[in-house]
Amino acid sequence: MRPLVLPPRLAAAVSLLGPAVAVLVGGFVLVLAISDDPLLAYKDLLFANFYSVANFALFVNRTTPLLFIGLSVILSFRAGVFNVGGEGQLYLGAIAATAAGLACARAPQPLGLIAAAAAGAVVGAIYGFIPGQLKVKLGVNEVVSTLMLNFVAMLLTQYLVTHPLRDPTAYGAVSFMLAPSVWLPEIPCLPGATDGALIALALAPLVWLALYRTTWGADLRAAGANPRFAEAVGIDADRRVLEAMALSGAVAGLAGALYVLGIGHRFEQNFSPGFGLIGLTVALLARLNPFGAILTAAFYALVLNGAAYMQIDTDVPRSLVGLLTGFLVLFMTARGRAAAAPA
Amino acid sequence: MEIAQFLNSALVQTSPLLLCALATLVTSRANMLNVAVEGMALTAAFAAIAVGQTTGSSAMALTGALAASTGMALLFGGVAIGLGADFIVAGLGLNILADGGTLFLLEEVYQDPGGLRPDHFPDLWRVPDGALSFLPVIGGALERQSAITLAALVAVPVMALFLYRTPLGYALRAVGEDEAAAAANGVRAARVKMLSVLLSGVLSGLAGAQLAMDRLHFFLPAMTSGRGFIGLAAALFGAAEPWPTAGAAFVFGLFGALGDRLQAFQAPSEFVLMAPYVAALLALTVARWRAVRRARAAPVSEGGR
Repeated sequence: MRPLVLPPRLAAAVSLLGPAVAVLVGGFVLVLAISDDPLLAYKDLLFANFYSVANFALFVNRTTPLLFIGLSVILSFRAGVFNVGGEGQLYLGAIAATAAGLACARAPQPLGLIAAAAAGAVVGAIYGFIPGQLKVKLGVNEVVSTLMLNFVAMLLTQYLVTHPLRDPTAYGAVSFMLAPSVWLPEIPCLPGATDGALIALALAPLVWLALYRTTWGADLRAAGANPRFAEAVGIDADRRVLEAMALSGAVAGLAGALYVLGIGHRFEQNFSPGFGLIGLTVALLARLNPFGAILTAAFYALVLNGAAYMQIDTDVPRSLVGLLTGFLVLFMTARGRAAAAPA
Repeated sequence: MEIAQFLNSALVQTSPLLLCALATLVTSRANMLNVAVEGMALTAAFAAIAVGQTTGSSAMALTGALAASTGMALLFGGVAIGLGADFIVAGLGLNILADGGTLFLLEEVYQDPGGLRPDHFPDLWRVPDGALSFLPVIGGALERQSAITLAALVAVPVMALFLYRTPLGYALRAVGEDEAAAAANGVRAARVKMLSVLLSGVLSGLAGAQLAMDRLHFFLPAMTSGRGFIGLAAALFGAAEPWPTAGAAFVFGLFGALGDRLQAFQAPSEFVLMAPYVAALLALTVARWRAVRRARAAPVSEGGR
């Protein structure tokens, strides 16, 4: 059997849309098979987010961390670093912002907020820099190092939130509540939705500009595509990789920080339903395009929240989304033929 | 007696980790970083309890567990090797699929997202009490251990023999060192890689079955809780060599037991539980550091990608 020959652009689109469409169709058939009211199930899944302003605000809040992590993944993958450490950077950014926010409770109005957000970004950047440095200097496989660092980060935040930062009056492992003076405000005309969404939306074109309209970005992508070639034409590839990893960590850390400052207002150990992994999915589905990530993050938030409404109204469990996500991620990078692994 | 008792409970803790570590090892040697052990083990744990509940036979439960994890491995290998998907992304996808799929089945088939707790569950074959009393210490450590724990212990030398004393083991390591060269020498690389993924599935399946069937006799969502990744850490720490990897798995198992103890005393257990991941990272770093110092250009990069 000979492989079909498609123009590269079209082939790229097909390789991505194929699995996504197949999974959606498969999901539809599955819902049809198990549900008494499949139409209501699908209606809830796709549209319940727009039934009320409150629902829409929750949708916006869900999109925000996904978009941040997606952009973070794009930055590192474009530099050729397979960074799966988003979850760890997110957790450390969140806990750093919590600690800083608690410490700056009496700072003048915007300063405490800025300090807390900056603390999250800086800690995330450091946590991204470590695997970058290990890869560049020693060639330590970044998949392994970021995976291991995720577990270290989550155990560290678990310690911090159950010991020094724990609010003993609250139930469960949660930190003290942040003072409202350091909260990130809501979007003015959309009660309940965090301003973090606007920051994430603004960040996407910035990432695109940095990657595609600056020499720095061109060098970074060259370093990612072919480090030896990049070095040969005089690009300091190692340096670009390190910068990309620090920046990627900073964006993921900021995601955690803004989640705490704008949505949670305190640190909870299990605040992330796997934002790191879903963010990776978001970035890959967007073919590592920052603008595309806006769409894929929104789509994923829509489905994640929609599944909750679907579970309330119908007999379809929300874990359907987990099941379908598994299939999607599993087949997402399949190319129909064995080929060399991507960077 | 005290030592035997301690070793006995340590073995119970260690055997799933040991099996997960071997499951990672066998694909590592074929130059594939397998992050899907967690998901395959979880599927097996679910299948073990589900099949054991309906059939009332521990042999059937174990068979079901192995069939489930091998099926997952087949899917994983088919997508990653057959369809050329990225190995890491597909592996992470398999974990999500295992998580979501088991939860979906719990909700859809058993109407209970909290878990699956059969009233009666068949016990595994165990070493009879007192059967090994003629052996000091070791006898006490092995008595009452399940058949799967014994299999885990036997799997270590078997893995060493397989990798270093059989043609297939040679082929597997050759593919891991340099796939193109191995293929040029007549090794069917794709088949060998698929076989190593399937072996990994069997070992993960034993790990999941041991976890669910040995003492607990129930299934909880995400009950593998990172054991697949501690196994990965052990394989990395042991440089994917059977005996050092087994040693690392045993030590990490002790850390886990120690962490549980500490938790009972309200002491922070998190730093003890962190140890496997930190140790694996340090071991990798030191190994790479020495390799970089020894030779400027290392021809084959370590770790799978």
